[in-house]
Amino acid sequence: MLVIRIWNYFRGYVIIKIEGLTLERFINLSIAKGIYLWDIIRYDYTTLEAKVGLKGFKSLREVVKRVGCRVYIIEKKGFPFLIHKLKYRKMLVFGFAVAVGIIIFLTSFIWEIEVIGNENADSKLIVDYLTKMDIKPGILKSEIDISELKRSILRDIENISFVNMEIIGTKLLVEVKVRDVMPSAIRKDVPCNVVAKKKAVIVKVIARNGKSVVEKGDIVKKGQVLISGIIEDEKLENPLLVHSDGTVLGKTLYVKELQEPIIKKIEEETGNCYSVREIKIGNYSLLLNNKEIPYKNYIEDKKNRKLIKILGYELPFEIIVHKYKEVELIKVKQNVEALKKMQSVRGVQMIMNELPKGAKVISKDVKYSIEDNILITRVSIEVIEEIGEKQKIQ
Amino acid sequence: MKKRVDDIKSTISDVLELPKDIVLDLPRITLIGNLQLYIENHKGIIEYSKQRIRINTNIGILRIVGNNLTIRTIVTEEIIIVGEIEVVEFIS
Repeated sequence: MLVIRIWNYFRGYVIIKIEGLTLERFINLSIAKGIYLWDIIRYDYTTLEAKVGLKGFKSLREVVKRVGCRVYIIEKKGFPFLIHKLKYRKMLVFGFAVAVGIIIFLTSFIWEIEVIGNENADSKLIVDYLTKMDIKPGILKSEIDISELKRSILRDIENISFVNMEIIGTKLLVEVKVRDVMPSAIRKDVPCNVVAKKKAVIVKVIARNGKSVVEKGDIVKKGQVLISGIIEDEKLENPLLVHSDGTVLGKTLYVKELQEPIIKKIEEETGNCYSVREIKIGNYSLLLNNKEIPYKNYIEDKKNRKLIKILGYELPFEIIVHKYKEVELIKVKQNVEALKKMQSVRGVQMIMNELPKGAKVISKDVKYSIEDNILITRVSIEVIEEIGEKQKIQ
Repeated sequence: MKKRVDDIKSTISDVLELPKDIVLDLPRITLIGNLQLYIENHKGIIEYSKQRIRINTNIGILRIVGNNLTIRTIVTEEIIIVGEIEVVEFIS
């Protein structure tokens, strides 16, 4: 059915209105003459609407004469009529063709390169590398050999374990996965010290190699040498440098202070909102709606939309939508005991997340104080953990 | 005389299992639900309105009654009628 419709459209057809008395005869005669009529609708006893092809319409004249009815054209449809119309509007056709041409031309370039999946912020490295390979905004899409490029990125940029490239519209999307880089361990034959990672009270020192310079109960600062790799002896002319190794356990204190107002202000959205659009051209801005905000208390939600990007440069057009959401302020007095419990649990949890692996908690202390309607919760936790860290001797 | 010819034709088509609409020159009517009626081998329209359509065939007049009836296509051999069809009957 659709095929026939498209065919009819290309051949061109007219919708006609026939007025007369013996319309059935009109239909029968047209069929007999081989004129194809379709979508025949009877409006009333004397009027009929039908569709007929261009050729059919011409040979309809004889039938009309014989039946003695009148035919009006209601609408001309189809490709031939469109062409006919466009003959008088050559510039329109030209403009359309130019527009399509420009779109095709512009979309055959890459205008933007985006690197995703890269947390360690060396997107620039990849972009620079691509620039070096002559892949930069403004390159023809067909000039990019993706599989070759992927291979060379994997080969030339060291810490990338996976790369995928995709052209989405006019954007080249580079998806990379950075290999996890292990902190380079100091080799066994390089002399080093074991130093403190953080401030702590020494609990235990087990020196497997080197000379321990601290004792149990000592308070050490960050960076202080715990096991020295420099062994000095009277018999030796130069101090002996060794690769020190060992476990140093220290007692450290983690403190968290949480503040929570007892009377809490809750902003509850009422669901009403009011938006204002702002057009920004360069440094000038134009508010499209200059009415006052009809709410007393509100939250502002700002959304920027950059409009056009050409040749990698952003045009200084910007639309900012300010959305003001009405809020209601509600004061809630919280139960102090419950709040205390909640805060202490929260504090402990926060500290627990910070603790390194293998740390052992030895004591927990929670203190509360109330100042100006604010509950201050101080959670301190003492733990024993490994505090040693190897450091090369310079 | 015509009756006898028809009888012979009918017998032949029975024996040879030929389709009767071709041998006997009968209309072939296909009704799809109550939405569309497809008539092959008709002999012209007699009456056409939104509620009633009468079509001439070899074996009499076919009357279609319904609502919003329209002729979708009409050529020498076939007619397609769409609309809410209620009654299809032969009047001889």
